[in-house]
Amino acid sequence: MRYVTAGYTVVLVVLALYAVQLVWRRRRLARAVDRAMARSTGPLAGPPAGPATGGAP
Amino acid sequence: MTDDSTTATATATAAGAADDPSTAIAGTIGSGLVAHPPTAVAPNTGVTVSPVQSPRSRMIERAIGALALVGTVATVWLGIWVTPPDKTQGDLVRLVYIHPGVAWVALYLAFGLAAVSSLLYLWPRTRSLFWDRLAAASVEVGVVFNVCTLVSGSIWGKPTWGVWWAWDARLTSTAVLLVLFLGYLALRRVPAEPEVRARRSAFVALFAAVDIPIIHFSVNWWNTLHQGATVLNANLSPQIHGSMAWTLLLGFVALTLVFVWMLLVRYRIGVLEDWLGANELDLALAERHSEGSGRLDGPVADRPGAA
Repeated sequence: MRYVTAGYTVVLVVLALYAVQLVWRRRRLARAVDRAMARSTGPLAGPPAGPATGGAP
Repeated sequence: MTDDSTTATATATAAGAADDPSTAIAGTIGSGLVAHPPTAVAPNTGVTVSPVQSPRSRMIERAIGALALVGTVATVWLGIWVTPPDKTQGDLVRLVYIHPGVAWVALYLAFGLAAVSSLLYLWPRTRSLFWDRLAAASVEVGVVFNVCTLVSGSIWGKPTWGVWWAWDARLTSTAVLLVLFLGYLALRRVPAEPEVRARRSAFVALFAAVDIPIIHFSVNWWNTLHQGATVLNANLSPQIHGSMAWTLLLGFVALTLVFVWMLLVRYRIGVLEDWLGANELDLALAERHSEGSGRLDGPVADRPGAA
């Protein structure tokens, strides 16, 4: 029975750790995206991208 | 990241997304993919990504995750405490309720999906980075399941065969597949343009996928230690019955749901990474621009040449 216990434990622990890692990675990236979006749409922000106007009106 | 913004994004892009099959599929797996207007579509990319996930896809993802958890707990409960021991294998048969399930997910579902997605990426009519992202997500999850397959098989093999590992055709070909797809993941980390990376990866995935039928038929082609097909055999007559059969089937379903949930989350990670990668330059420019605006809005004396 100890082989059975070991087999179930290894599989379940590996899958659980990977699942936790996936959720953590997604949360970290989602926060980074939120920060980036907030930066690009903040009160001092100009257009998010584009050529410089070079003093044109 | 609000629900309103999600809806607005989806509505604003629905018209452009309508003619892209990958976008429609992506919507169902919660990617939030957004298609360019036809005139702006790059021929080798097809779609760009939105970092916003719709509430519907989030709800589907959570439901699948809950079902996967319940199914896995039920499989463990039935497998360890409810089903009877086998006449010849004794309690070791309990490992059979998870080992074929993880093998099914790794070898057929995950790597099969990666191969199909890679083929669809290489096919000019369906070329889209959606398929590349899906293949990458599928391979990563598949590698984890492949490791579980080899480890659980090895733990079953020690008391049954007397060794942790044998250079058996099925075991060896499964280990080769793991190495090939680890190579795939390593290749994806080589810096390159997204399209170049996608093309390279797709070729490698298709090359690696040749090993899948070899693994499947290895027990027929060679004289192996590993047993032949128990359920999907040539006569299609399952060699397992009663509560054992139902527990095995539940294990397949539960682990498939675990795979689907992991695939959704991993795909989402790919979307977020791609969005950050694609907008890195724009965001840096915006930040620089805002810094410049802030300086010019300051006191006149601070401006260059004011003196």
